[in-house]
Amino acid sequence: MTLQKDPENKERKTLQRFVDFTNKRVLEIGCGEGRLTWQYAKSPRSIFAIDLDADALRVATIDRPSDLQNKVHFLRAESEHVPFAKETFDIAVLAWSL
Amino acid sequence: MVHALSEIRRVLIPSGILIDLRPVLDRWQIEVASMREVREMGQMQDFPVGLEDDKAANESVAHAARNRWFTREQEEFFPFIYSWDSPNEMQKWIEDEWEGFIDLDEQTKQATRSAWASADADARVRVKMKMLIAKWKVMKGYD
Repeated sequence: MTLQKDPENKERKTLQRFVDFTNKRVLEIGCGEGRLTWQYAKSPRSIFAIDLDADALRVATIDRPSDLQNKVHFLRAESEHVPFAKETFDIAVLAWSL
Repeated sequence: MVHALSEIRRVLIPSGILIDLRPVLDRWQIEVASMREVREMGQMQDFPVGLEDDKAANESVAHAARNRWFTREQEEFFPFIYSWDSPNEMQKWIEDEWEGFIDLDEQTKQATRSAWASADADARVRVKMKMLIAKWKVMKGYD
């Protein structure tokens, strides 16, 4: 199957117009296989991306480029119990998950 | 969902930003698209369970705004396209991934198949989803 998602990159362009990720600490909720994560992963200082789907997280981790290994981190967690201390992040992205 | 928003607010700094990015059901457009032309074939049917999900999400953010957890700074809609080589591939995706949320009526299915079959060789079948993006700023000190 040759499914293409967002071939015109509207999502990435709109997201980057809405928020400046440069040097920010980002929490992404509902990252799945990381499709959205890779749209903005170059700019932030760090990304912690959470999801409940272990298989999807495995794919995301395998797909993670080597130059992002120290910056992008995937964790299995639920959005109702985010495993971080208060005031840890500059930006939170609810990725198709509310 | 309200719980998740409360958690997000907790882990964001006082000037933090929440981006809410999600599809919303609104009878998404079906198209047959080639380099030469884009033909609109009809619209998806929205099912109650999907509409209820959207309603619940909207109510959650409304709750967060009412309680002054966040204040909305910016919001807009944009199209997000799913594109397949053929109508059969699209139908399989709908059955596997979107079952219970949306579907296509038989008339639109047939029209899409016919338009694709008679279109240029590069023609693809597309669903144009409606996406919401909203930017919310954290408000602290109102607890």
